[in-house]
Amino acid sequence: MTWYLGDLIPYMPLLLQGLWISIYISVLSFVFGSVLGLFAYLAKASRWRVLRGISGAYIEVVRNVPLLVVLYLIYFGLTQFGVNLDPLWSTLIALTINNGAYVAEILRAGFEAVPKGLREAAHALGMNSAQTFRYAILVPGIRNVFPAMTNQFILLFLFSSVASVIALPELTNQLLRVNSETLRTFEVFTVGALLYYVVSSVLAIGSRLGEKRLFRW
Amino acid sequence: MVGDFVQFLPALAKGAGTTAILCIIAAVAGSLLGLVIGLMRSSSWAVVRWISAIFTNFLRGIPLLIILLFTYFALPLLIPGAIFSQMVSGAIGLTLFVSAYIGEVVRGSIESVPKGQFEAAEALGMNFAQKFRYVIMPQAMRVIVPPWVGIILAMIKDSSLVSVIGLVELTQAGKIVGTSTMEPLVAFVLVGAVYFVICYPLGHFGRWYEKRLKASGFNVPHQATATDILDEEPGPRVGGNQ
Amino acid sequence: MITVKDLHKSYGKLEVLKGISCEIDASQVVCVIGPSGSGKSTFLRCLNLLESITSGTVVINGHDLGDRKLNTSAVRQDVGMVFQQFNLFPHMKVLENIMIAPVKVAKKPKAVTREKALELLDKVGLASKADVYPSALSGGQQQRVAIARALAMDPTVMLFDEPTSALDPETVGDVLQVMKRLAEEGMTMVVVSHEMGFAREVADRVIFMDGGVIVEDGNPAEIFDNPKEARTQAFLSRVS
Ligand SMILES: Nc1ncnc2c1ncn2[C@@H]1O[C@H](COP(=O)(O)OP(=O)(O)O)[C@@H](O)[C@H]1O
Ligand SMILES: [Mg+2]
Repeated sequence: MTWYLGDLIPYMPLLLQGLWISIYISVLSFVFGSVLGLFAYLAKASRWRVLRGISGAYIEVVRNVPLLVVLYLIYFGLTQFGVNLDPLWSTLIALTINNGAYVAEILRAGFEAVPKGLREAAHALGMNSAQTFRYAILVPGIRNVFPAMTNQFILLFLFSSVASVIALPELTNQLLRVNSETLRTFEVFTVGALLYYVVSSVLAIGSRLGEKRLFRW
Repeated sequence: MVGDFVQFLPALAKGAGTTAILCIIAAVAGSLLGLVIGLMRSSSWAVVRWISAIFTNFLRGIPLLIILLFTYFALPLLIPGAIFSQMVSGAIGLTLFVSAYIGEVVRGSIESVPKGQFEAAEALGMNFAQKFRYVIMPQAMRVIVPPWVGIILAMIKDSSLVSVIGLVELTQAGKIVGTSTMEPLVAFVLVGAVYFVICYPLGHFGRWYEKRLKASGFNVPHQATATDILDEEPGPRVGGNQ
Repeated sequence: MITVKDLHKSYGKLEVLKGISCEIDASQVVCVIGPSGSGKSTFLRCLNLLESITSGTVVINGHDLGDRKLNTSAVRQDVGMVFQQFNLFPHMKVLENIMIAPVKVAKKPKAVTREKALELLDKVGLASKADVYPSALSGGQQQRVAIARALAMDPTVMLFDEPTSALDPETVGDVLQVMKRLAEEGMTMVVVSHEMGFAREVADRVIFMDGGVIVEDGNPAEIFDNPKEARTQAFLSRVS
């Protein structure tokens, strides 16, 4: 076996295009999933038992069932109801559902970790609930949540590779295609691994720098 | 229609068995490898620490699916004439993947042991092996359980990806049954339920154990995140004069 | 200024305060002492509604805390509180910490508040620290900022819950100094503290609590030198 990257060069645009789709679906489902997660968190913290139950069930199901099974349920399972979603939509929905549950847990843990004393100090100064949240809880809560959220985004980006199994032409899917066309198996998957690695490392470093810049206190 | 389904239950059960075997192999091998990787971070040789750090960092920065495709398609090319079965490739890939995460948790739990314990062991003249065998690891192992359970739980779910290289484990069995019964919805709900029934109690156990440890004042290391590799240079975890 | 009659407080089945009665006049400085778990913090927290009152009456500066139509925020603006753990807002600079409540809660104009905040900072000896985050301050400095923050609302009563027990010994003095100045200026103060020197020198009255009741209440010299109750004697011999 000889190492030769030359065969891959013509395919680089294709791979970068795949990488772009991977990033794109990750960003979209992260945004949608974060909104869903915020609602799930609020529901779980609400006074209404039914809402708490629904939200809790949602979170537990997602945390205990593989993403791939959820994706198959949406892509293949829903066809039984006559719902034929294309790979892109199926992936976005599956990743959004997945991300929402983890975001809800991140928000819960982060806001629970805000010291109780801050709430008390705000109350003691005469602040009402809204003011207490706005001035005493929100920013420390965001700081607690920030690293976990960026970590979650990185995990989501890595997990978006499962979309390849339903033929969404993201990076992993393109790697499989290039592999079958060039038969440069070793090189193809090495390059693929490096592409994923570079993006996730840049994100991790960016997150650290962002954290330092945003929270100087 | 659901009646037809009963005849396919054995196929699903067989898939679940394959998942179980795969997960047990990867859990055992991954934990052993992870232990080594984690201990390497405490070595007094910089090279060893760096190898461990790079291994961990790299494997955690790429998708499991890529690792699996690599161990299935590319790895056999390194060994002329070798053909790996899907089970073998899947087990190797999954093992490598979890070992990176377990390695981080081992490192975290070693860090959670007070520095004075290292110093006391060294002051008694213990060497590296004795120090870890008799003093550090027994204490580190107590706090490792919750994050370890978390990683194993994630691994059980992630093992569904081995279906992509063609192993007929639980998820793949569900897909096959779904196609042949034309009832994919039922098939995948059933498959999801099996994962749930295994993972849910495991998660509860982990959280219960963590609460118990925290209540008795232990500092439980959290599960490795993508950014904590940046926290520090891979320095040796030793006290005092080494 | 403060009238407490037969105050009871329970957490579920656990009765923590078992009938507290006392009168505190304007400009009085009262030190509350007693073993840990005796209900001192709970008593203090009932005075500004951080804890709800189970039964009994508390009237502070004309606010009846049992009144259903009570404006909680108004009471709390009238009653300043200083905590053992300072509880400064970590994401706000020192000056912002002091200004946030006057501006957002009392709706005072920013410019005036700023002037006043700087004055208060000067008063607690931290004029140079207006522009730093709390994390850059020592415990004693943080506690002095916390006092300034509470004073910025112009309270008529100040409550202190063990303000010096989380501090390094060398920073305790500065905080006590600030509190002493405040007492001299005529502030009504209720101070839970085990600083016996401070109590002896500054307090007009010392209240000894044990097991959720007031065991002894008198001037500092009486309590410290001539305690009548056996429980007070036992406590004092343990702490000194
Ligand atoms: N939120 C609470 N829930 C239940 N019990 C409490 C709560 N806060 C305080 N207690 C109990 O009330 C008693 C008195 O507490 P505290 O007022 O803090 O005493 P002190 O300040 O004198 O040490 C203690 O036994 C404590 O365990
Ligand atoms: Mg107390």
